[in-house]
Formats: sequence, structure tokens, C-alpha cells
Amino acid sequence: MALAELTLSAGEAALLNAFPPTEAGDAARAQIAAEGLPNRRVEAFKWTDLCAALADGIPESDGSAGLIPACLQDALVLDFAPDGFGLEGEKDLGLIIETEDSLELEGAGPLATLAAGFAPRAVVLRVTQSQSRPVVLRRHPGAPMRVRLELDAGARLTLIDTGLATAGLSTGLLEIEIGAGAELVRYSLQNGDTQAIELTHTAVDVADTGRYHAISLMFGGKLARAETHVTLAGEGASCLIHGAYLLSGHTHADMTTKVVHASPNGQTRELFKGAVQDRARGVFQGKILVERAAQKTDARQNHHALMLSEGAEIDAKPELEIYADDVQCAHGNTIGALDDQALFYMRQRGIPEAQAKSLLVEAFVTDVFEAIEHEGVREWFSELARMWLEASSS
Amino acid sequence: MLNINNLQVEVGGTTIIKGLTLAVPAGEVHAIMGPNGAGKSTLSYALTGRDGYEVVGGTATLNGEDLLDLAPEERAAKGLFLSFQYPLEIPGVPTLTFLRTALNAQRKARGEGEISVPDFMKLSRDVAKKLGVTPEMMKRPLNVGFSGGEKKRMEIYQMALFDPRFMILDETDSGLDIDALKVVSEGVNALRGPDKGMLVITHYQRLLDHIKPDRVHVLAGGRIVDSGGPELALALEADGYDRYKDAA
Repeated sequence: MALAELTLSAGEAALLNAFPPTEAGDAARAQIAAEGLPNRRVEAFKWTDLCAALADGIPESDGSAGLIPACLQDALVLDFAPDGFGLEGEKDLGLIIETEDSLELEGAGPLATLAAGFAPRAVVLRVTQSQSRPVVLRRHPGAPMRVRLELDAGARLTLIDTGLATAGLSTGLLEIEIGAGAELVRYSLQNGDTQAIELTHTAVDVADTGRYHAISLMFGGKLARAETHVTLAGEGASCLIHGAYLLSGHTHADMTTKVVHASPNGQTRELFKGAVQDRARGVFQGKILVERAAQKTDARQNHHALMLSEGAEIDAKPELEIYADDVQCAHGNTIGALDDQALFYMRQRGIPEAQAKSLLVEAFVTDVFEAIEHEGVREWFSELARMWLEASSS
Repeated sequence: MLNINNLQVEVGGTTIIKGLTLAVPAGEVHAIMGPNGAGKSTLSYALTGRDGYEVVGGTATLNGEDLLDLAPEERAAKGLFLSFQYPLEIPGVPTLTFLRTALNAQRKARGEGEISVPDFMKLSRDVAKKLGVTPEMMKRPLNVGFSGGEKKRMEIYQMALFDPRFMILDETDSGLDIDALKVVSEGVNALRGPDKGMLVITHYQRLLDHIKPDRVHVLAGGRIVDSGGPELALALEADGYDRYKDAA
């Protein structure tokens, strides 16, 4: 019996031609030729059909990289444009920046392969001592980004990644190694529009007592997916992953995380909150895997979402897989509507309905931002959330 | 002041208020007493415009203005205040933010300017002192982690702050110990005035020892079945609601 020939969509065919002639580009080409883009029949993509989103080809890029807020004026900015990579701002001691044309892929899955394939080269950041100056990864619409980040033992860095694509396909791959006792604090903003497809894969490996601390805010796009795979490889390693998604119109945002506890005494804190209205769709997939060796693991995962209109959709798949016997793991997942009683109570006190809804939604999502240590970034994210609420309630 | 004429209210397709007529003139406090299930809370929600409490007949006006066609927030801006039997917890919204937002929304709806932050802070502090509302309570999200007594004090505090023209108190005494009841009652009594009206809804007579009504009405089976002076409340306390069973 002959295997059915894979028929490529216009988008898949266009991708084959779009990858640069690099090893990673060849690998991505081979993957698409063999398997196509992941569609909803692939378990990990059942709610985020990449194949359908790109069925008609690669959309033209539009939009901007967005403004860097005043609170980050001291930052070193790494600028990723479709035609190359640039630097703005001052670089401190203890930060080494190089580019590599060929790097072995650390991430796993179709998104990682795709993002590696698009990037003509990787930017390698090596942090040998703690940085007081934040580093911003600024993505222009349609720009492929690949960043390898290595934090030496005890080093600390604050990383912000942001972009403002309104259309086009943008891919990002971050491969992060956090050394013993080192800490990466990361703030991600995905602020797209209904013609933008934004795919980011982050692979993190954390050594003994190292810490990965990431807070993200997503407004979705035609399709936006942020995958985070963290391996707590060393003893006492920890991660905090918080995310908020605010979706309206026809946008789609997907936060997919996988945390592997591979050693004892690790800690995971996950908190995701979303509010979805109109015909938008929010996806949360969160897996925590505790290996047999990872005794005394302390892991908590929470995802709570609000459906603000009838046509909205939220899909959630929390998963705990535990092979160690002396662990504390808990997860909670709720999807609901705004509390009618609270809404009436506020209106009885004179607060108009739209404003009451805004206040309740803002209150609901902002605890995700409480973990933001950088005051300016916390205010920036909160302000963006407020602007979304104002726009969506008018 | 408040005029209700032949009001009929349905909840989930069932008629709960079946032709209720009541007039509370300015300057008076009227009590509504009645057994459980008589429609006391339904009346308060229908007057304040809660979704699901459908007025299918009759009228209700405040100072001659129709209430029933207005949104809940518009009724609030007209000076109608409901002190809830079970005040809601609003997680994540700091009490002060909530109060200032509500006060300014009411002022805006009435065409008045926003109150400045310093003026608001002074006003809120002055009122807070009188009602035993602590600065710690003001810093917390509204009603979150408050005891039953604290929640009721916060209701009366809001009532004092917003200075409404007509106040409905729904089972304000429930969940209060005797000391808290005194504080709350004193707060309520301070808000009585010649141009204000009050409807005190209660199951027990106890509250009326502290908040003396001008008139007492008995609500049973969705209608006012008896009215009288304060002595009626005492009679009810002694005899119970049994004699209204047939009327209902």
C-alpha cells in the first residue's frame, strides 16, 4: 500500500522557498516537505491550527517594532529587522555578543524548527557578570529572530522582548541556559493585530539554584503562539512563569508551556489569566512533568480566564505528570463569566456598566503583573491592559 | 418622595410582587417587615434595577421621576441607594479606588464636576472616623476579608459618603452583634433628614429599636397586607407573621 502523497498548501509551498540556504533552513524545509505545517489533528496544535493560518501563503509584513518605553531608555536594544540585526545603546562589561551561522538546535517541536530555519544566523549573548542595564529584543514585523543566551554562574540579566507587527509572519527562537545560581528575568510583550502571525519558541535550561522568571502579556494576532519549555535540570532550580492574555475581535493567542523537573528541590510557579471577547480565542496548554529523581518538587499552576462575550472561546489543557513520590503539586483552572452580582453591586453604586466591567477585568488580570519587579515595566504592562479595556468597552 | 403604585415583579417567570402600593414621603423612615419569601429582597432589587427582576406592571417614581426605565447606575445617580443584605466582595479593586470611581461617576451623571483627590481624601477620612472604618479597611480590596460586621459598616459608610436622597436598607441587621448594630444604627440615624427618605427592610423588630420608623408595613405574599405605626412592629415581634398567612 503506497503512502498518500502529502499535498502542500500554498503557504507550505511558499515557506519551502522562504527558508535561507543554511543547515537550519534545510532542516526546516525537510520537515515541512515531510510533515507539512502542524494542523489541528496534531495534539499540541489542536486549538492552534498553524497550517490553516498559513494556508494562503505568507502574509505581507506590516506594522513597526513599537516604541521602547521611557522606563527602558537605559536598555541595550538588539534590533531584529527582516534584513539583519543591529545594536542600539551602550553595552556593559560582562556581556559578550556574537553571531553564529550554524548552531545546533536546542528547542524541540515544529515551531522551534521553523524559527531556527528562518533565522539566517543566531545572535549569541553570553553574560559573564550581572547586568544592571536591561537588554531589549526588538522585533520588526516579519523579522526572524534567533537568540542564544548563556548566563554564567551567579549572573543576572533582565530581558525584554517586544514587537508591534500588524501583519506578516514573525518567528522567534530563544535558547537559554541559566547557570548555577544565575537568574534571568524576562518580560515579553506580544502586541499584534489580526493579520499578524507570531510564533515564538523558548527553550530554557536551568542549573542548580538558577532561576527563570518570566512575565508575558499577549494581545494575540491572526495567530500568536508563545511556547515555553523549561527544564529545571539542576537541584533547587526554579521558575516563575506568569502570563496574561487580552483578546478581542478575531484574534488568537496561545500560551503553551512545559516545565520539566529533572532534579530535587525544584520550584515552579505558574499563573495565567486571560479575558477574551468578541470572536477571539485564547489557548492555554500547561504541562508540568516531575521526573522520578525530582523529589521535593514544589509546583503550582493556575490558569483562570474570563469569557466576556458569547462568541469567544477559551481552551485550556492543564497537565501534571508526576513520577516522584515526595512532591507538592497543585493546579487550578477556571473559565467563567464576569460575576453578575459584583457587576450589579458596582452599578448600584453609580458606576456605569462598561466601566464596572473594565474595573473587574483589570482587577482580575493585574495580579499576573504583580510579579514584575521592574516598576516601569509593570506600569507599562498595566497601562497597555487599561488601554485595551478602554478600547474594548467603548 | 418614593411612590410605588401597583408594582408587579417577576423573577424567572414567577410573580413575586403582586401589586404593591407604597408611598414614603420625604423626611420619613418606613419599615417593611415580613416572613421569609415574602418578596422583601425582590422589592429592593426591582427598585434598584437588577437584571432578572422584571417589572411587569405598575409604577415607581422618586420625586416624581420614573425609576423603572433607568439603568441601575442612573437610579444611583438620582440618589437611590441600596444597602445590600450580603455586600459583595470585589477582589482586586482597592476600596478607595472603588469609592472615588463611584462618587465621580454619580457626579458626572448629575452634571457635576469630579471631586479632587485631596477633597475626596478629606471627605472619606471624615466619614470613616464616624463609622469606625479603619484606614486598613480602606486599603484592602472592597469587602475582601471583611467580617460580616465590617461589610455592613462599609455599606453604611458608602451611604454616608454618597449622600443619597433615598435609602433602602435590606436586612442591615443580619450578621451584626449588638455593638456593631449600635454603630451601624447611629450611622443610619445620622443620615435621616427632612429631604430624605428611607425604607428599612427587616425580618426582626430588633433593628427598629435602634432605627425608629415612622410607619411599619407588613409584606406577605407579594403585597402590603398591613400598615401601622411603630407599635405594629412590636405586635409582630410578639405574635409572629402567622396571622397574615391567609392574606398571603
